[in-house]
Amino acid sequence: MTETVWWAVARSEEVSAEKPLSVDIGDQPIVLWRDTDGAVRALEDRCPHRRAPLSLGCILGNGAIQCGYHGWTYDGASGRLIDIPNLKSERKFPPVYKARSFGVHESAGFVRICLDAKAPLPADDGYTLPLSGTSTVALEHGQYIAALFDDPSLLISIKGVRFSPYLLSELCEQEGQLVMERSCQWASPHWPAPFTSDFPISLRIATDPVTGESDLTLRDDEFNLLLHATLAPVPGARRVTQVRWRAILSPERHGLAAKAMGVGTPLRVHDHIDGAALRVLKPSASIHADDLREKIAASVEQQDKVA
Amino acid sequence: MLETTENPATLANDDPITSDPRQFSAKVNAWMPHEIMLTDAWFPLAHSFAVDKKPVRRAVYSQPFYLWRSPDGEVLAAENHPNDPLADTKSEYTDESGHYPVLEKYGYVWGWLGKPENAASEHVPSIPYLPEDGGLPLHMLGTVRFDCCAPLSLENLIDLTHADFIHADVVGDEKMDSEKVEVFHDSETITMVRTCVNKSVAPIMKMFGGVRDDVQQVRQVIRIYLRSHAAIAYGRFSPGDNVQLFHPCVPETRDRTRLDYAMNTSNVKKSNLFRYMMPKASYKVSRQDSSMTSPQSPRYMRPEKRKDLHSPLDEAGQKYRVLMTELAERQARGDFAYRDDVSADCSDIIGYEKA
Repeated sequence: MTETVWWAVARSEEVSAEKPLSVDIGDQPIVLWRDTDGAVRALEDRCPHRRAPLSLGCILGNGAIQCGYHGWTYDGASGRLIDIPNLKSERKFPPVYKARSFGVHESAGFVRICLDAKAPLPADDGYTLPLSGTSTVALEHGQYIAALFDDPSLLISIKGVRFSPYLLSELCEQEGQLVMERSCQWASPHWPAPFTSDFPISLRIATDPVTGESDLTLRDDEFNLLLHATLAPVPGARRVTQVRWRAILSPERHGLAAKAMGVGTPLRVHDHIDGAALRVLKPSASIHADDLREKIAASVEQQDKVA
Repeated sequence: MLETTENPATLANDDPITSDPRQFSAKVNAWMPHEIMLTDAWFPLAHSFAVDKKPVRRAVYSQPFYLWRSPDGEVLAAENHPNDPLADTKSEYTDESGHYPVLEKYGYVWGWLGKPENAASEHVPSIPYLPEDGGLPLHMLGTVRFDCCAPLSLENLIDLTHADFIHADVVGDEKMDSEKVEVFHDSETITMVRTCVNKSVAPIMKMFGGVRDDVQQVRQVIRIYLRSHAAIAYGRFSPGDNVQLFHPCVPETRDRTRLDYAMNTSNVKKSNLFRYMMPKASYKVSRQDSSMTSPQSPRYMRPEKRKDLHSPLDEAGQKYRVLMTELAERQARGDFAYRDDVSADCSDIIGYEKA
């Protein structure tokens, strides 16, 4: 797991000052909560005393987290131990008495964690998309992203939209991201995709080469925006992938099918994947992903050297 | 423009097919069709009728082409949609206003991918049986797609023995007395002529073409214009009607192919159902092809140590591989010249019988 990567491990509304939240990045368990200022805190979800998950404890009125096993209490910002209630003393603890802390950044409705607590903060992402959700899929992170490139219908549904196998643009590098564009049809009766001359909608996917965080842009054939979404897949324990997502439906949509997107939920991120369909999914766009990732990584390395 | 006349014809020792058998064999077996991206070529991007005032989108190797008509009917091709507010990119393939060279011929809108200054109408392939001004009725035109690499689609096409198996229920099976395959090429084209004696009659000709016999004499020609990824498929059938298909395979991406076909059946009597049904057979035939070429395609994306096995019937496919590879290598060296004339009338080469 790359130490300096920022992972969107939670949506803002999932993290509260009432109850700690357990998340993970790969095999690293993390506990999240908010302190009295509303700032998100992140520590290793493991009490250094007897290794119990801190997420089974509680958040105190002063914003510190207290282990539910023996009451050891930690400051969220530094991870330092601030109290062992049964000691009944005001003694200070040596610096080694601390839980591992991580870098935390909250922006645009996502809480991002970096395993390196001293990593520079990423840039703010702008505004918070109003629709959101979390799904957990029993599929390894890299395979999840490959499936997103090869057939998004295995992972997501957009109301009234059918993804075609036909691409307007194969996976390529654009401004440090992996970008592709797929032709789509409305789900209403239509001429079969293999015999269709022109498609009414297209889905552009722009993916971070490391995290797999993807911006999805659905547009009609006059270049009008229909839906914008961000999918943030994070590798979880036991090789499952946790996906936090946010989306917004464009208020101005032309045509009956586009207007009908506003009835009910426009985007669903699946919790289950059809293994039989995945097994026979033709690897296509995803085949070039690793080469492009290497190219982007080399380019970033070169830029760092120059800087 | 690229003057074909200013460039010497392919010299015998320049010919990758005759120069060195070992090199030929090595190129055949190093076939990496997804890596081949040929430019300085006209691509038949759309049927003329499909392009109107509202921009339609096409692509060649993921490079976007937006096509539309100006109020006076002239076709325009640009790399950005006119409504794209963020369009500030311009590739090397367009002029200062972001427009590609574009022209109309044979009922198609042809877009030039390559250096704009090299675009010339002389490089549009010759298609003897399509009217230069277009105008074929819509029932002879259609679009099919392959989720497959375009050169693989064309390699599939030029080995017509595949048709006896996956298209047997449309064009007839492998039963015949004898079969001969001849292959001709220059630096820009490859032509395969297959002559079959007493071949099983194509079921579609029995069903709709009024052919009552059990066998027919068949002469099929596939001629591929390498750069444009476009093929002529011309068949003479006796008894039966000749089949006149233009079969472009536009590489929308390296693994997706668009085929805006034209099946000119105006040689068939208006009272004969074959005139109307044969163009529609493309819908069935293309899905049959796709069932094989789609899973086949990713298996050619990476270098493969194991060599493909070949039979004498694969001569055309092997030569196609080598000619495409040679052309790509030549372009990689900066040589984009046309050494042979693709627009010269090829009626004699394909044995076209004018109606």
